[in-house]
Amino acid sequence: MGNLISEALSMGWMAMAILVGLLVYFQVSVKDPAAKKRAVFKTFIGIVATFLLFVAIANYKTNFYGESRLLPVSLVMITVTTFIMALYFTNLSALLRIGGMMFFIAAFLSGYGNWLPQVEGGFPPVEEKKTWDSMTPQQLADEGEKIIFGGVGKNKEQGAIGKGQCPLCHAFHAGMLGERAPNLLGLPTRKERLEDPKYSKGNPSKREYSVKEAFPGSGTAETVQEYIAESHSCPSCYVVSGYGVKGTNDKESPMPAIHKPPISLSLPELAAVDTWMYLREGVEPPSFEEIIKSYEKFIPEADRPKQQEEKAGPASALMADGSEPVDQIFAKAQCVSCHTIPGIPGAMGTIGPKLEEGTTAAQRIKDPTYKGTAKSPAEYIMESIVEPSAYVVKPFPDNTMPKVFGQKLSAGALKKIVDYLSQVKAGAPPPKIS
Amino acid sequence: MGRVIGKRLFSIMALCAMVGLLLLPIVVAMPSLAIGEEATADGAKKEGDKVEKGRDVYYKTEGVVVGAPAPKTTDGPKDYPRYNFESRVLLWFANQQHLYYGSFVLAVPIFCMIIEFMGVVTKDKALAKRYDQLAYDFIKISLTAYSLTAVLGGILIFTFLTLYPAFFSYLSSVFRPVMHIYALMFVAESGTLYIYYYGWDKMKEGFLKWIHLSMSVILNIIGTLLMFLANSWIGFMMSPAGVDEQGRYLGNIWHVIHTALWNPLNLHRILGNMAFGGGVVAAYAAYKFLAAKTDEDRAHYDWMGYIAMALGVAFLIPLPFAGYWLMREVYAYRQQMGITLMGGLLAWLFIIQATMIGILFLSTNYYLWQAMGRMRGAEKYQRYIKYLVFLLACGYMVFITPHTMVMTPAELKAMGGQQHPVLGNYGVMSAKNGGINVIITTTVLSFVWYMRGNKVSTVSWAKFGNIFMGVFFACAYINIIGLAIYGYYIPANVRVGLSVPQVTTTLSCLFFMFALNSMMMKGAKQMGPIEWGKISARSQYALIMLATAFTWMMGLMGYIRSSVRLFWHVNEIMRDNSPWAYTHTVGFAANMISANVLFFWISILFVFWLGSLTAKKAPVEAKVAVPGSVPQPAGSH
Repeated sequence: MGNLISEALSMGWMAMAILVGLLVYFQVSVKDPAAKKRAVFKTFIGIVATFLLFVAIANYKTNFYGESRLLPVSLVMITVTTFIMALYFTNLSALLRIGGMMFFIAAFLSGYGNWLPQVEGGFPPVEEKKTWDSMTPQQLADEGEKIIFGGVGKNKEQGAIGKGQCPLCHAFHAGMLGERAPNLLGLPTRKERLEDPKYSKGNPSKREYSVKEAFPGSGTAETVQEYIAESHSCPSCYVVSGYGVKGTNDKESPMPAIHKPPISLSLPELAAVDTWMYLREGVEPPSFEEIIKSYEKFIPEADRPKQQEEKAGPASALMADGSEPVDQIFAKAQCVSCHTIPGIPGAMGTIGPKLEEGTTAAQRIKDPTYKGTAKSPAEYIMESIVEPSAYVVKPFPDNTMPKVFGQKLSAGALKKIVDYLSQVKAGAPPPKIS
Repeated sequence: MGRVIGKRLFSIMALCAMVGLLLLPIVVAMPSLAIGEEATADGAKKEGDKVEKGRDVYYKTEGVVVGAPAPKTTDGPKDYPRYNFESRVLLWFANQQHLYYGSFVLAVPIFCMIIEFMGVVTKDKALAKRYDQLAYDFIKISLTAYSLTAVLGGILIFTFLTLYPAFFSYLSSVFRPVMHIYALMFVAESGTLYIYYYGWDKMKEGFLKWIHLSMSVILNIIGTLLMFLANSWIGFMMSPAGVDEQGRYLGNIWHVIHTALWNPLNLHRILGNMAFGGGVVAAYAAYKFLAAKTDEDRAHYDWMGYIAMALGVAFLIPLPFAGYWLMREVYAYRQQMGITLMGGLLAWLFIIQATMIGILFLSTNYYLWQAMGRMRGAEKYQRYIKYLVFLLACGYMVFITPHTMVMTPAELKAMGGQQHPVLGNYGVMSAKNGGINVIITTTVLSFVWYMRGNKVSTVSWAKFGNIFMGVFFACAYINIIGLAIYGYYIPANVRVGLSVPQVTTTLSCLFFMFALNSMMMKGAKQMGPIEWGKISARSQYALIMLATAFTWMMGLMGYIRSSVRLFWHVNEIMRDNSPWAYTHTVGFAANMISANVLFFWISILFVFWLGSLTAKKAPVEAKVAVPGSVPQPAGSH
C-alpha cells in the first residue's frame, strides 16, 4: 500500500498541489464565511477524490499483469471518487452517479473473475517439422525415447510413459518382470525367435496363430529388424509363450497393432523407437532407411499412418481427453488389455479383475481389509484408477496396474469411466455407451 | 385519386432510383471481380501444365490455387512489430471499442425502423408524434456514434497493419474483393443514413413518410449486409474454408465467406446487437431521466427507457437459442473446439456468463416492480413481490452452482473426486435448468403483473381466467421444480432429457399466459393512468445495471469466441507465433473486459453529453403533451 501511495503522489502531485493552492486561495480571498466554508469543503473533498483516483491509477499501472490483480480495488476507489464528486458537483451529478454505478458493476465483475480459479492456457507446442531422415542415430534414439517414455532420460523413471504407451505392458530393464508382455531387454540380438519352429520362418501358412501374415503375401521376417517390425505391426503373427490372451492358448496377442489407432505411430516414429532399442544396448542400429523398409514389408501403403505435424492441443500427452466415447477411452488407456469390461468391445483381459463395479464396488468398500477412503462406489472406482494399490482385489497381485492414469487421463475421461463402470452390474445387461 | 396514384408511383420510382444509385458501386464492383477471376484462370491456363490444384479444407472440393500460402510467421519485428506492450491487448482494445460502436449504430436504426413504423400505423395523432420524435432522438444519438465507429474502424485497421502486418496481409489477400465491397457498402450506408436523418422533416407527411420509412428498411438491409461481411472474416478465422491446407485461396469467394460458423454467427450477432442497442438506449434514457429538471422531461425519458428496455429484453430472450445453435455448429465443426469452450480451458468463463444472465433477469424484474409504482392500482401486487424475490434468489443460487468442473489431476486429488464434496451434490444439470426456468417464469409473471397493473378485467369469464392463470403458473412451478429434484435420483444420461419438458413449460407460460392476459385485458377498466415520470430513481439504476451488464457480457462472449482459436490466427491454417500465443487467466480477461466496458461507457456518455448540447438549441416544438394526460404507448400495454 505504501508503494501505491508514493506512486500515486509522484503521479498526481501536480493536480493535488493545484487543489491545495485553490484551498489556500479560497481561505484567503473569499469574504463571505458561508461561501468560504462551502468552497473550502468542496476543494478538500476534491483533494481526497483526486488522491483516491491516483491511487487507483497507480494500482492499475503496477498490477496490470500482477498476480494480485488488484484492478477491482482500483475500480471501487474510482467508484467512491465519482460518488464523492457527484455529491458536490450537482450540475454533473447524474452523470457522475451513473459513472460511479458503472465502475461499481465493473469492479464487481472483475472481482468475480479474479476470485475464480485462475487457469492460464500454456504456450502451444513449438512448431517444428521433424526431418527424420537427416537425423543422427542418437537424435533418432532420443525421439524414440520420447515416444516410449515421454522424455529423454526418462527410461528408468517409474511410471514414465509416452505416446507409444509401451511401458504400460512391457518392461525394459534387467530384473523387471512384465506381467502382461515380455521384457524387451536384448531384443536387438534375439535371433533365436526366428529359429523357433512355432515362428515358422518362410512358411507363414504353417503358423498356428490367429493371424498368419501381416497382410496376404507379406511373408515372414528374415532379420531381427524385420522381426521387430513384424511384432509391432502384427502382434498376433507370433506370440511369445505365456503372453497370449488368456483362454486362447497363446494363439492371440493382447497387444494392439502399433501403427493403427489408438496409438497410430508413423513409420519414422517406429524407426525412432527401434533405434533407441538398439543404441541403449550399444548395438549398432540399422540405418533409418533400412528400418523404414522393414516396416514397409509388413504394413501395406494404405495402412501407413500419415506423418503428423505437431498436433494442436495441450502439450501434456494425455491418453484420452474425455471427448471420446467411453469405449474409446478404455481402448486408448489400454484398460481392455487387462480387464474384462462387459459391454466394451474387445475388453476381454484377464490380468486384472472383471469390472462389474455396479455390484462389486459397494461390497469392497465394506470389506474389512479395505483401507481406502472411498465412501461411495463412484469414489471407489476413482480411487482404484488413481491409486490402484489402495485396495487390491484377491487373488490379483499388487503393483500390476500402472499408477499413471491420474496424470494420463483428463478429468472428463475419468468421469466417463467412473460413470460407465458404476452402471455395470453382474448379471445385468451392460449399460449404453455414451 | 389518379393524381395520388401518380404521385405514389413517382415516389416509388424515385426511391428505386435512389437505391439503385446507392448500390451502384457494388454492382460495378461485381463484374470487375469476375473479370479478375477470369484473368487469373486465363493466366493459369496459359501456363499449361503448371496449373496447381488444391483441396478445400472444409468443402473438400478441388480448385485451382490462386493465392499464396498462409505465411509462417516467426517471433520478431518483421511479423510482429511491437511497442513495449502486449500487442494483443492493444488489438483487443481497438477491436472491442469498434465492435461496441459498430453494434450500437447497427442496432439503433433497427429500433428507429420499428418505432417509426409504430408511429405511422398508430391512429392516435399525439402518440404517433411521440413515437416519431423518439425515433428521431434515437437516430440523432447514433449519428455522432456513427462517425466515432468509422474513426475506431480506422484505428483498428492501423493497429492491425502496424502490429500484425503478416496476418493482416494474408487475411486481406484472401478477402480482397470482399473488403472492397465492404468499403463501398459503408459509403452506401453513410449516404442512406444522412438522407434518412436530414430528410426527416421534409418527409414527415403522407406518402413521403412511407418513403422515409422504406429508407430505414434499406438502411438496415445495408447495415446487416455490412455486418455479415465483417462476420465472414471472423468466421474464416475460426473455421476456415475456401483455402487448401496451406491456406492458399482456391478462387471461390463464396466458400471463403460461407464458412461453417458464418450463419450462426450472423444470427447471434444480430440478436446480440439488438439487445445491446436496447441496453444503451435505455441507459441514455436513464441518464436523461436522472438529469431531467422538469416533470415533462422525466415523463418522456421514463417512457423512452421503458420502450428501449422492453425491446432489448425481447431480443434477449431468443439469444440463448441462437447461442445454442452456434455452439452446436462449433461442436459439429470441431468437437475439440466445443470442449475447450464448454468443458475445458474456457469453461470458467461460462460460469461468469451464467452469473451475468442471472443479473440481467434480476435487473429486469427489479425494474418492472419499480415501474409498477407509477400505476395506480398496482399496489395490490406489491405485497407478493417478496415471494418473487425468494423464487428468483433460490433459482439464481441453484443456477450458478457448479457441478462437474474441469480440473487437473492434482486438483482432482485435492478435492477427492470429480465433484466438490458439498456443492457437487447440488449443481446437476436438471437442477440448474430448473433454476433458470424458475427465473424466466418469474420474469414472465412479473411482466404479466406489470401489464395488468392498473387494469381490472371486464370480460365475463375474468374470475375463471384469473383462477386458470394462477393454477397454470402454480403447475408450471411444480413441474419445473419437481423435475429439477427428480433429476437427482436418475443417472446423468437420462437426466439430460429433463431439460425439454422444463423449457417447454417455461415457453408455454410465456406464450399462453401473455396471450390469455391480453385477451382478459381487452377493454379492461382502468384504475388510473400510468404516471410516466413518477418512477423511483432506483429503477433507472436497474436500467444502467442492465446496460452495463449487456456490455460486459458482450465483451465476455466476444473474448470467449476469439480465444477459442488458442494459438491460431486462422484455425489450423496460420499459427500465431507471437509471444502472446497463450490464453490469459480468467482474472486478466475480466479486468480487460471491465476496462473496455468502462472506456466505452465513458466515451458514449461523452457522446450523450454532446447530443444534449445540440438538443438545447433545438426548438421546443418537439415536446408534446402535459404529464398526466400523456397517452399510453401501445407497446407498453
